[in-house]
Amino acid sequence: MEEQRIIERGRGGRGGRGGRGTRLIAALAGLLLAGAIVAGCGSDDDNGGDDSGGGSGDAPISEFAIVAPEKGNDYGWNQQAVEAATQVADELGIEVEIADNSGYEDISPILRELSTGGAEFVVAQASGYNTTAPDVAAQTGVPELIWDNPEANEPGISANASTASQQGAYLAGMLAAETTKTGKLGIVISADDVNWNKMSGGFVAGARSVDPEIEVELAQIGQAGYADTAGGKRVTEAVIADGADIVFGMGDGSSFGMLQAVENADDVKFIDVIGDKSPVDDQGVLLSSVLWNFEGLYKDAIADIGDGTFGEEGYELDLENGGISLLQTDQIDDQTWSDIQDAKQKIIDGDIKVPLTEEKSQVDALINEG
Amino acid sequence: MSDLLSQDFLTALIAGGLVAAVPLLYASLGELVAEQAGVLNVGLGGYMLLGAFLAFVITYNTGSEWLGMLAGIVAGAAGALVMAVLCVRMNLDQIVIGIAILLVAEGATSLLHGAAYAESRPSLGSPSELAIPGLKEIPILGESLFSQNAIVYIGIALAFVVGWVLKRTSAGLSIRAAGERPEALDAAGVSVTATRTWATLCAGGLAGLGGAYLVIVGAGSFTPFITQGSGFIAIVIAMLSRGRAPWTIVGAVLFGLSLSVATALQLIGVNIQTDYVQMLPFVVVIVVLVLFARRSYLPSALALPYVRGEK
Repeated sequence: MEEQRIIERGRGGRGGRGGRGTRLIAALAGLLLAGAIVAGCGSDDDNGGDDSGGGSGDAPISEFAIVAPEKGNDYGWNQQAVEAATQVADELGIEVEIADNSGYEDISPILRELSTGGAEFVVAQASGYNTTAPDVAAQTGVPELIWDNPEANEPGISANASTASQQGAYLAGMLAAETTKTGKLGIVISADDVNWNKMSGGFVAGARSVDPEIEVELAQIGQAGYADTAGGKRVTEAVIADGADIVFGMGDGSSFGMLQAVENADDVKFIDVIGDKSPVDDQGVLLSSVLWNFEGLYKDAIADIGDGTFGEEGYELDLENGGISLLQTDQIDDQTWSDIQDAKQKIIDGDIKVPLTEEKSQVDALINEG
Repeated sequence: MSDLLSQDFLTALIAGGLVAAVPLLYASLGELVAEQAGVLNVGLGGYMLLGAFLAFVITYNTGSEWLGMLAGIVAGAAGALVMAVLCVRMNLDQIVIGIAILLVAEGATSLLHGAAYAESRPSLGSPSELAIPGLKEIPILGESLFSQNAIVYIGIALAFVVGWVLKRTSAGLSIRAAGERPEALDAAGVSVTATRTWATLCAGGLAGLGGAYLVIVGAGSFTPFITQGSGFIAIVIAMLSRGRAPWTIVGAVLFGLSLSVATALQLIGVNIQTDYVQMLPFVVVIVVLVLFARRSYLPSALALPYVRGEK
């Protein structure tokens, strides 16, 4: 009994600062505060939602939403998506709700909130959302556009989007092969990612179309090194030290580390993907970029919703519809650009078949063929 | 296939491994001190992030790496001060608060970076190097090991200094007693709270310095979530070091060099699936854990609050 009282006193009266229950509540409150701050980083952007104010006009919907995993100012996937959505809203005179920086965890609460909050169409802009989003669409009845899940095409519910990004990478490979002085090209990827693999394969094929003997080497930063800037710099430095003078980098945040490594080296150029980093290219090392433009894709999806055909088939960004293109910079000479334009037309016409390498092993095999 | 004997290639690999190791060295060294005092900093990665962000801001605006490093120490220590107040002074749960600090740091630095630098994405340029005369001329090793930023040499020296302080000084004895037998330390008239507070601040300052090195030397810029789980790896290294500070050098360098070896294996075209290659650094840590963890030992009062008179 005495021992019990001692235990109770000890638990309840630690220096008069409250007991275990109080501490637990305080600790949980701290955790909730942390969660609130983290959640605050995601801009489920009521103010940022672009109220174009023009009414719906002829558009089949009056409001749509886009959910992106990271902030829409990354000079890459998220920025391209947010800018395209804003542009589409402006052109159609409808509203867009932007929920960027939504992370990669369970996205269903955000999707559900947007679907029940007025959006008549939701873009789930991450392949990591491609199983959750169709479920939410089926539950709410609001159609969702998802990425890299062809099995999820469901009329009126969900439609898949993908890219023929290997086509743009093929052109980038041609550019690299025509520009290199060392005869060795480097590819740096942040993860074993389907899109990175597709573009790596296209790049190798494009380079070998110019010089079948050209050396290409590939290095991966980590299992999911998308934000590993230091890793991007470290791996790219190793690739450059091994003789590569053109680096084709795919990485999201880590690509800024790749760019740093290229800037610190002599006579090395960088080819980026998805976005245009020209505004932050202080050293003039950016040779080009395989650009992805989502604008036409979103417009087509909205039009199909109006026609009642949404979800009957998927969408693809490619050279022909302008969803994929190669950035022209002043570092590319006229003859090289002309060659690239010829190849582009041949790809569109089907005269050049660009290999599709969705698996890393396929890319490795392609590289080893050289 | 890559030329394995290329001096530039080997130099880049070793230097890259060392650069990857230094943030871990500082963070694990700080964590080792805190753990010896009985404080487990699950939010170590948060201190690193705070240090990384403020170091980036100061270095970018002043052009001074040293002011940036100092800012990193201050920011990391500020994060640790929250931990000290809530866990050492108020005896809240160290795990819960540690997670909270990590989440707040991730969110706050991402938010601030997005607001201030997302459009301009400034970079810090090439870091300075301090070449050690006589040693720098050694082929491969000279360029990679003896032509580094001064903070690398300071970190290695600091590991030995911390080891000496912990083992040979009364301050070190107090720190170890705070983690092992805090009631004995209290009975000896030394404040357990003050000892643990200073040890926690030390962890924050050193982790912040590690974060500062990461952005100034390792990456040359800041991106949200840049530490990529380094805080947790540093905690493991600190635990593996069994209270012996110089062993943090071994753990950190082993991990950093494993990253470089993983890159090298890919570039020389070794026919192993990349997934397996990418596991190498973690496998190395696990192997070391298996080999040495049986003798590993953690302070008996680690992560436990100390209340006078309570057992």
